[in-house]
Amino acid sequence: MTRVVVIGAGVAGLVASIRLADAGARVALLNKGTGGLQLSQGTIDILGYAPERVERPLEALAGFAQAHPGHPYASLDAECVGTAAGYLKDLLGPALLVGDPAVNLQLPTAVGAIRPTALVSPSMTAGACVDGADFVIVGLRQLKDFYPELVAQNLARTEPPGGGRITARSVMLDFPARDGEIDSSGLTYARALDDPAYRRRFALAVKGVVGDAGTVGLPAVLGLDDHGAWADIAELIGAEVFEIPLPPPSVPGMRLNRALTERAKSAGVRVVPGSKVTGFHASGGSVRSVSLATAGGAREFVAEAFLLATGGFESGALHADSYHKVHESVFDLPLRIPEGTLVHGDYWGDPQPLFTIGVDTDENLLVRHPGGEPVHNNLYAAGGILAGATRWQEKSGEGIAVASAVRAADAILSVAATATSQGAAS
Amino acid sequence: MLTLSADVVVVGGGSTGAGVVRDVAMRGYKAILVDRADLGQGTTGRYHGLLHSGGRYVVSDPHSATECAEENAIISRIQADAVELTGGYFVATQVDDPAWGDEWAKGATETQVPFEEVSVADVLKAEPRLNPKISRAFKVQDGSVDGWQMVWGAANSAKQYGAQILTYHRVTKIERDGDRVSQVVCTDEKTGEEVRIDCNFVLNCAAAWGGQIAHMAGCPDVQVVPGAGIMIAMNHRLTNSVVNRLTYPADGDILVPVHTVCIIGTTDQKADDPDQLKIAWDEVQQMMDCGELLVPGFRKARAIHAWAGARPLVKDSRVGSGDTRHMSRGMSIIDHSDRDSLKGLLTIAGGKLTTYRLMAEKVVDAMCAQLDDPRPCRTATENVPGSESGKNYVITHRLEEREHDRHEDQILCECELMSRGMFTKALVKQPKGSFDDLRRQLRLGMGPCQGGFCTMRATGVALETEHIDIERATGLLRLFLKNRWIGIWPILYGDQVRQTALDNWIFQGTLDVEHLPGLTHEEVV
Amino acid sequence: MNANESLEFAQTQVARASLDHCVKCTICETHCPVSAVTPKFTGPKFVGPQAERFRHGESVDHSLDYCSSCGACTLACPQGVKIAELNSQARAVMKADDMPLRDRLITQTTLMGMAMTPVAPVANAALRIKPVRTVVEKVLGIHRDAPMPHANTQTITGWLKKRKKPATHATRGTLIFFHGCAGGYFEVETSKKSIEVLEHLGYEVLVPKQGCCGLAEQSNGLFDGATDKVLKLCDELRTSGRDLTIISSSGSCTGMLKHEAHEIMGVDDVRLADVGTRIRDIMEFLLELYDADELPTDFKPIELTAVYHAPCQLKSQGMGQPAMEVLKLIPGVEAIESGATCCGIAGTYGLKKEKYEIAQAVGKPLFDKVKEVNPEIAYCDTETCRWQIRKGSGAAVEHPIFLVHQAYGLS
Repeated sequence: MTRVVVIGAGVAGLVASIRLADAGARVALLNKGTGGLQLSQGTIDILGYAPERVERPLEALAGFAQAHPGHPYASLDAECVGTAAGYLKDLLGPALLVGDPAVNLQLPTAVGAIRPTALVSPSMTAGACVDGADFVIVGLRQLKDFYPELVAQNLARTEPPGGGRITARSVMLDFPARDGEIDSSGLTYARALDDPAYRRRFALAVKGVVGDAGTVGLPAVLGLDDHGAWADIAELIGAEVFEIPLPPPSVPGMRLNRALTERAKSAGVRVVPGSKVTGFHASGGSVRSVSLATAGGAREFVAEAFLLATGGFESGALHADSYHKVHESVFDLPLRIPEGTLVHGDYWGDPQPLFTIGVDTDENLLVRHPGGEPVHNNLYAAGGILAGATRWQEKSGEGIAVASAVRAADAILSVAATATSQGAAS
Repeated sequence: MLTLSADVVVVGGGSTGAGVVRDVAMRGYKAILVDRADLGQGTTGRYHGLLHSGGRYVVSDPHSATECAEENAIISRIQADAVELTGGYFVATQVDDPAWGDEWAKGATETQVPFEEVSVADVLKAEPRLNPKISRAFKVQDGSVDGWQMVWGAANSAKQYGAQILTYHRVTKIERDGDRVSQVVCTDEKTGEEVRIDCNFVLNCAAAWGGQIAHMAGCPDVQVVPGAGIMIAMNHRLTNSVVNRLTYPADGDILVPVHTVCIIGTTDQKADDPDQLKIAWDEVQQMMDCGELLVPGFRKARAIHAWAGARPLVKDSRVGSGDTRHMSRGMSIIDHSDRDSLKGLLTIAGGKLTTYRLMAEKVVDAMCAQLDDPRPCRTATENVPGSESGKNYVITHRLEEREHDRHEDQILCECELMSRGMFTKALVKQPKGSFDDLRRQLRLGMGPCQGGFCTMRATGVALETEHIDIERATGLLRLFLKNRWIGIWPILYGDQVRQTALDNWIFQGTLDVEHLPGLTHEEVV
Repeated sequence: MNANESLEFAQTQVARASLDHCVKCTICETHCPVSAVTPKFTGPKFVGPQAERFRHGESVDHSLDYCSSCGACTLACPQGVKIAELNSQARAVMKADDMPLRDRLITQTTLMGMAMTPVAPVANAALRIKPVRTVVEKVLGIHRDAPMPHANTQTITGWLKKRKKPATHATRGTLIFFHGCAGGYFEVETSKKSIEVLEHLGYEVLVPKQGCCGLAEQSNGLFDGATDKVLKLCDELRTSGRDLTIISSSGSCTGMLKHEAHEIMGVDDVRLADVGTRIRDIMEFLLELYDADELPTDFKPIELTAVYHAPCQLKSQGMGQPAMEVLKLIPGVEAIESGATCCGIAGTYGLKKEKYEIAQAVGKPLFDKVKEVNPEIAYCDTETCRWQIRKGSGAAVEHPIFLVHQAYGLS
């Protein structure tokens, strides 16, 4: 049985681990901390801006890739991305993820912008910003990360992408998540809303302030473990309801993270959280093992294949020191670094070149010297560590992660199958 | 158009101007202060945060040393809430000659700067992050001061005495009537309205911009050379005392804890235009090396913000204009009655923040002399509003306050422990304020996340409390993010890169601020 | 380095410096079991890297005391902030001048064991009598309903002396066994079974005279006493041979030796470093053998579905949940992960009268899960957690080694 070590438990690492384990590999998923899903908006982006707003992301990929030759989408084509998106939907199920990777939804943000995204929680679809949408945005006084006036008034003065008008009004509800608490995080609300009794009181209170007309927009706190909580609330209110993603902690992100982690464990993935990979051994062109810095000393993880899914600068996978030298933190891999200055002072101008830095790979996600030969013959990369994308600006992060994770996992399995059949033959 | 009148118009709301308007008002004159921006946005808001013990100047500028020592005691008292009694050390690092300490000690004795020699072991015990290779140390009474709190303390005192403080009023001309100053013409930057102030005297406290103001009065060739220097705020207090290198004043030889950060500085580059100061990467590297000398591991510590300030240096014929460090920092008062046949205008330049009150006293004395109207100065005897109790600032203040009020009041800026109540109170005082105006009062966005989490909250609260409309709210959000970036990108390395990545992920990724309605290049004021 | 120097080292070099890595992402807050159940605790981000920037001299934020030191925050933090360590250190400073008598007493676990053993049945009975407990609560602040250890009539030392020498000859080498206070006096069965499994695998097991690791004191901020104890223990464990692996069946004590003494108290000593690198939790050791194809897997089937709870202080050692992996190897055993961050006891936290309700609330989802999955029995690797889960769910709670022991036919 092929042993695979996956480093990083963001969406790329989780998806790859599951795919590998389901196919019979013995997978260890190592992470130094919780992955980025709970920092994200909690939806699956494929391509949002190219730089103009994208309505049909899979169709836009080819043109986008041509305009951005070094981008991960240059080798992860529409078919690959579409298939990976479908795979993710199957893993999570329709209670957690719906949508069509071929068509973007245009959904409100917590500051009232309209943001394209592809796959979402079903709790968000009623917020589609189209002509005639009529919203009542409800804020919670004890939740300081959501201001309904800001959402409603900006939506009301923005023409939705397909043209026309959105009407939106706002209302603030005084409804604590816990007795005596006036400064609650979204997660505190989400846990409270997992309780049917609290949920009932909450829904009735919302109903009391929204009046008769409009689709009700709420901050994305409608339950953590109970995936039917939002629908229950909608029924109790008697109106359509949608959630609007907040800055971290992202409850929708947490739902996805928990579901994928559980799925990985039930597939037999050995999840080892909380320690950093601080070294590796390589010989004969392959990585043989990685060293995990657990308490009391390093522990070796031996494997036949390794997948680096550690993220970008935000996770510390890439590090720029005080001399502006950029390093990849686990294997010290060669990086694709743009020429010229990496950071400039025009905040609203072009994306910062610094954040396009990453590792270069061949079309099977095998890490290579930029434009050159593989670094090791069994080290792959997926997700935010890949060079060439400014994920938050393009709205492309999850699409890149899932597509690259699936392709890397399949490449690893294919090599393993070849080795097995060769082994069987000899 | 609006017409006002006053006895005295003070131009410039930095420490000099604020000190002057306070003194003028306390002496009973009707005064109006104008600044084209917020108070303390010039040199005062871009300085090191150091309330000098005088120790730095005991050899290089003995007169200043004595003045600093005296004024340090006064300011610590009258502006207690803006001053933290951190104490300071002068330490000989491995590149300094410990024997020079004798010359230093002699100078300190002669200039009456209080000091005491301490053992290296004691210093390292008090400040465990300091370089263990230190060979000699002296303890002094350096303190740290919040420049904006200081300036507003003085301004609020002036207001108590009837003065008007007009921020965002840009001077465009100073009119004369014969041989006398008669009127100051300004534009209200927030409304676009013209404001004319009839007056008898103008005190030009515009420091690095003083030459430009004098020019507007028809007095050309006032040479104020901007001596630019950068400073870098490190994310947490690596030391809790001020630390100076025991050496003749050099670049990057001081580390000052101010509020929750510590600031390394500074460099010395002649600049041409005080509004176009650059923060060059090699200057940043220089400051990193200087920091590493004082605190090993400095380069691995986190820098969160950088800025450049322009010292207003009067050109002195003994010193070439390229070498600004050794121009006199002592102040000078230019009386335009002889030089330009214009009575009622004094231009003040030079000086340092620690002695601002003394500078102001001398300026107002000079004004009284010209008016032949001697009135005594009382600024040293009275504490400014907010400092009535005489209790000095301590770093634990906000932590203690939030411990007590967090069940009644949300915390909007978590990094700097700023509550919602603090924010809404400041909004009421400055309904037209930008988030940076409010930041200078509250430290909003000045912690490690640099506005990552608090910007949206501030925007939402300001809108919710109906001080502003949605257009202005959205514009202020954009402006705040843009302005924060000015001080981040020059020092973007290490941990701050991670923060920027996360902040981008939030603002662009989750909130999509780039696609908010309105035009990003149209800025609100 | 004395205790003060150690604390300073830990504060300035390790934990405090690590606050620079905090990007305020809130991940730690989402894992905190205490802030999940009470608004009294502002959460690890607030009291750790955030408040630390405001600390110097006087301790002003007493809500910090609600931190249970479970370590879930440091474990979850992707940026490497030593949050739990920061909190522990700040708490030690806060309590330095005002250490409640109670905290000094309940941390003397060896003394408790030694005192209670000879009079075990009486001691056990006394601990169940309500009036006695009420007095104890009033005087010492130990909650009247808090779970108390159950003293054994025989200590591990007594058992070792009295038993027949093992029949099997040691073929695999020698191991040193560290039983911890509880394993020596209260939970002797766990130690016995651990030793028997190791001997079954072919190891000779040495059990040197040994004391307390000092964890209870450390978690209460009594760094002086804790440092003395942990170094004394290191000396004792080193008497039996310098290259031998040390096996422990006491999950949290292992953590103290592996990393907490250094990272929280700043103890920087070659003896600690030596023991810390040689010690293994017993389930961790068995998994290592399995990964090296050296573990006999001729397990007899055991038809059992039960909850397994990985204690915080085991999880915080960063090796995952080795017990889960080993239990998967026993045919018929279906171990269900508790899914709980913490059982609530957090060492001595849940014993304290002002923390008891919080500790119960923290543990409730775990107790409910045990009752739902199998109300008869559950498994957990640390003693105080076993007492807490036992009390909260009514189930018997045993160390997972019991199942391995049984599956090898030893019971």
